[in-house]
Amino acid sequence: MVPPSGGPGWGSPGRRPRVRQFDEQVEHGGIQVNRTIMLPASLDEAVEALAVTPGAVPVAGATDLMEAVNAGRLRPAALIGLGRITELRGWRYEDGGTAVLGAGLTHARMDRPDFAALIPALADAARTAGPPQVRNVGTLGGNIATAAPAGDTLPVLAVLEATATLARAGGTREVPISHLLTGLDPLRPGELLTWVRVPLLHAPQVFLKATSRSGPARATASVALVLDPARRAVRCAVGAVAPVPLRPLEAETWVAGCIDWDARGEEGAALIDPAAAAAFGEYVAGACIPDGALDGGPEGPGAVALRLRRTVSVLARRALGRALK
Amino acid sequence: MSSPTDISSPTDLPSAAPEESQDAEPFGLGSTALRTDALPKALGIYPYAADLWAEGLLWGAVLRSPHPHARIVAIDTTPALALPGVHAVVTAADLPPGPEGTPDGAPSGPIVADRPILACGVVRHHGEPVAAVAADHPDTARLAAASILVEYELLEAVTDPEQSFNVPPLHPEGNLFRHLPLRTGDPEAVGEIVVEGLYQVGRQDPAPLGSEAGLAVPRPDGGVELHLSSTDPHGDRDRTAACLGLEPDRVRLVVTGVPGATSDREDLSFQVTLALLALRTGRPVKMTLTREESFHAHTSRHPALLRYRHHADAEGKLVKVEAQILLDGGAYADVSSEALAAAAAFSVGPYVCANVFVDAWAVRTNNPPAGRMRGEGALQTCFAYESQLDQLAVQLGIDPLEIRRRNAMATGDPMPTGQAVTCPAPVAALLDALTDSPLPALPLDDPEADWLLPGGPGGAGDPAAVRRGIGYAVGMVHMLGAEGEDEVSTATVRVSGNHATVICAAVDVGQGFATLARQIVQSVLGVSEVYIAPVDSDQSVAGPSARGRHTWVSGGAVERAALMVRHQLLQPIAANFGMSVELLSIADGKITSYDGVLGMPVAEALEGKELWATAQCRPHPTEPLDESGQGDAFVSIAFCAMRAVVDVDIELGAVRVVDVTVAQDVGRALNPRQIEDRIEAAVAQGVGLALLEDLRTDGGRILNASLTGYRLPTALDTPDVRIAALLEERDVVATFGAKAVSAVPAVVAPAAVAAAVRAATGLPVGRLPILPEDAIVG
Ligand SMILES: Cc1cc2nc3c(=O)[nH]c(=O)nc-3n(C[C@H](O)[C@H](O)[C@H](O)COP(=O)(O)OP(=O)(O)OC[C@H]3O[C@@H](n4cnc5c(N)ncnc54)[C@H](O)[C@@H]3O)c2cc1C
Repeated sequence: MVPPSGGPGWGSPGRRPRVRQFDEQVEHGGIQVNRTIMLPASLDEAVEALAVTPGAVPVAGATDLMEAVNAGRLRPAALIGLGRITELRGWRYEDGGTAVLGAGLTHARMDRPDFAALIPALADAARTAGPPQVRNVGTLGGNIATAAPAGDTLPVLAVLEATATLARAGGTREVPISHLLTGLDPLRPGELLTWVRVPLLHAPQVFLKATSRSGPARATASVALVLDPARRAVRCAVGAVAPVPLRPLEAETWVAGCIDWDARGEEGAALIDPAAAAAFGEYVAGACIPDGALDGGPEGPGAVALRLRRTVSVLARRALGRALK
Repeated sequence: MSSPTDISSPTDLPSAAPEESQDAEPFGLGSTALRTDALPKALGIYPYAADLWAEGLLWGAVLRSPHPHARIVAIDTTPALALPGVHAVVTAADLPPGPEGTPDGAPSGPIVADRPILACGVVRHHGEPVAAVAADHPDTARLAAASILVEYELLEAVTDPEQSFNVPPLHPEGNLFRHLPLRTGDPEAVGEIVVEGLYQVGRQDPAPLGSEAGLAVPRPDGGVELHLSSTDPHGDRDRTAACLGLEPDRVRLVVTGVPGATSDREDLSFQVTLALLALRTGRPVKMTLTREESFHAHTSRHPALLRYRHHADAEGKLVKVEAQILLDGGAYADVSSEALAAAAAFSVGPYVCANVFVDAWAVRTNNPPAGRMRGEGALQTCFAYESQLDQLAVQLGIDPLEIRRRNAMATGDPMPTGQAVTCPAPVAALLDALTDSPLPALPLDDPEADWLLPGGPGGAGDPAAVRRGIGYAVGMVHMLGAEGEDEVSTATVRVSGNHATVICAAVDVGQGFATLARQIVQSVLGVSEVYIAPVDSDQSVAGPSARGRHTWVSGGAVERAALMVRHQLLQPIAANFGMSVELLSIADGKITSYDGVLGMPVAEALEGKELWATAQCRPHPTEPLDESGQGDAFVSIAFCAMRAVVDVDIELGAVRVVDVTVAQDVGRALNPRQIEDRIEAAVAQGVGLALLEDLRTDGGRILNASLTGYRLPTALDTPDVRIAALLEERDVVATFGAKAVSAVPAVVAPAAVAAAVRAATGLPVGRLPILPEDAIVG
């Protein structure tokens, strides 16, 4: 085994003053690889480090990144650790009823009662995003940047119509999360996801996730749903069934018309006919898993799609039921 | 070159499994003595094979076949040899040829030698080892292995076991591992009620927490020393030596800490390849498989297809059972014929039926090879016959427990193999114990109990859609080798000063043998400090840690050796007291005469002495099953009954096992706490098979070789396990009257969970694992 020739040490203070840096050289099958790990202590430093270091990749909790490294899919030349940027690990309010969430918020932090009171659906999503060890370090920013189909926060952010602040050396820009995820307006090289702006709704919001076991597992399907009584609207997003969360807009509009917004049931809830709630489930499921997906043999892709459609239908109906409770 | 003494683990503990000789509070047989390895494992200082290190070691890596079935046209190893840091590349050509000039070089296998160590000419399953590399860095070794160029000519993969009969042989030994017809009674017999069913069992993987790892060190005499978490040190030594063309005494096997084994561990290919690389390079070689490789390297449980027809009279008494059982053995024979014997012999379960007609086959396919795994063969049939009994109960409109009681086997009853069950068969008593056991409460309207709903925390569970189901199952499995296998174990006990040492090559793979051996010596000799020597192949043969045999054979050998030492110890004292040895007893560290008048502390009697004895234990012989499946093939049988309670979200098909209550026939509870541990572990594994675990393949290719893809039960998936009864009806011929406890609960648990899901949903539930779509109503 060849020992790293340049062991851990401090970066030359002349070049990049405040950024703590480790350089090491490792050999992989006769190929020399230089690896740099930088630990900026502020956003500005991080953005600058990203701008000046070719091939640098930001890393937060590393729960997705290291999986890719270990599997050999990724060999980053340099890593920029975001863990020391304390400002990104919290959140604040902004005028006009918006919560500004740091990209470094961990799933475990979002699951705590104070946060859950603020954005309950996001807290629910964070609670189910993997086992405790992973949620203790995995972050909101990492979940968005990875943009996995089963990313649990994604349907919630889509349904809340959240936006992301992307920072690069010399400026920032604001992008709707859905544009980021669909690739309409993706994260560009050298950009850091810093903040997520979530409009606060003082109305019911729900996140439901179907998995294949009781223990921690990725979603087979998930549904996020919010009510907007002021505008008499329902918003719904379905996760894990497609590369990005899907918004069944027609079903949303239709079901909003089925709700008796003025009626007050038990504990002051708005009302809906159970048959309409069930039809909403079918509507959502049909919109997200189109008929074309149902082709195929009895055990082929068609059968899988049919089962998924059922699951989404049940989730959407239950989510609406809970929101209206 | 390193000598074996240079080997160390980073913790500075001896290179083998540690056995501290602590003064345990609970003492002797029947006590709840703490496991000897519990503390080191909890503290993380228990040395496993992956922790081993030797000066100047090289790293091994294996190239595996990406195809389930292909002819190897050419192998070009030059790109690997060209990489700096690579010391050796080996293929089948580097192994001595097989004994009778077999087409595949150096074939091996526990029962039938049909498996090449490195593929020779043909690959027969996805992940089959083709070549191996030793290099100075693990990454280099892997890169080099990946750079080897293998030209394959793809062949059609036979993955449907039913097709195996109709296709040209996939191997010179043919496609049929074994056909076992079992016929007894009147084929014309008919019952008033007939139920039929088709049952399927998936591929469960042992998924040991520690992946395969080992270290091979070349010896100056041209031999090799292997440090492995072997479960059968002598068998592994002999097979490794044979494959390398060495005399057995040129191979020494040192057993390191075993990181989980419910079956065999390191397959032979791994060991032989490791040894070959060490011999080739003259340097120690270490190899640790990645998780993905591990799934490809070890054998899994036999997938099964079972067709059953039960005839019963109007009272529900079994009249006739007909069955066809097909086990998919995968690419190589391994222990398929043994698994098949259990499947056929226990095809009716712990019930009496005069007319039984079974055909059982184990066949070769291009699927991953199947092997030994807790209750192999018996588990698959238990799911089928218990499902059939549930169907009969429904047809008759009687309680599932009642149908079982009406047919329950008792001591002395014949099995379909003609063998009378001479050991205790307390099936009715086990069922009674379950009946009397209280049921768990429903998690009603408790907001805090949200996470108790099927689907788990934050799941989509809706109490309105949850149905509770209660299911029962009873099962049986033999212990010890069957069909004429020579079962024997040897142990040595040494006492010096006030502590004792046990030397026995029975590997504690987690089943707790070391703890038991200590308890035995404590009971017989009254010394509290008992050291269990690390295992290596220089010791006498004890046989594999499988089939629930060590309590009986090795426990028996330890007991006999200890009794011989006891005799040596007491004889002079008895002579001194003027009485015979039989009139002295040892208890609480004291030797006392029958009348309590004369006495002496054990420590004092032992002072300055060193006493040794070696003894063997060999249970009564068995015989192979004949051409109609008849014969006294088993030494003894253990029984278990379970009640499973499940909650099912019938819209999403999510299942949560709430509670499993167990009544088990243990003969004698030698360590109640260990028994409970074993039962809990077996239930967890059984629940995994019932609901989650399935190594999926597509055209022979493994799809989910990772712990993300292969779903093991987590704490949230595992139910509360309650012991309703550990029935202690002693088996007079067994050591201490005790029965093996680990396998039988694993056999029964999947059937019990399936019965409960059936009760909750009203659906037939014909396959394991039960997927969400199998539990959706409507
Ligand atoms: C066992 C296990 C179970 C899991 N289960 C779930 C689950 O149930 N649900 C779920 O949603 N996820 C799950 N995950 C995935 C993962 O934990 C989450 O996606 C997590 O949110 C990722 O965050 P991270 O901070 O670890 O990201 P990292 O791994 O640090 O980064 C991931 C990617 O995002 C980039 N990145 C990180 N932060 C930023 C930023 N501020 N700006 C720009 N790019 C950035 C990185 O460069 C990298 O490409 C699981 C992971 C594991 C290992």
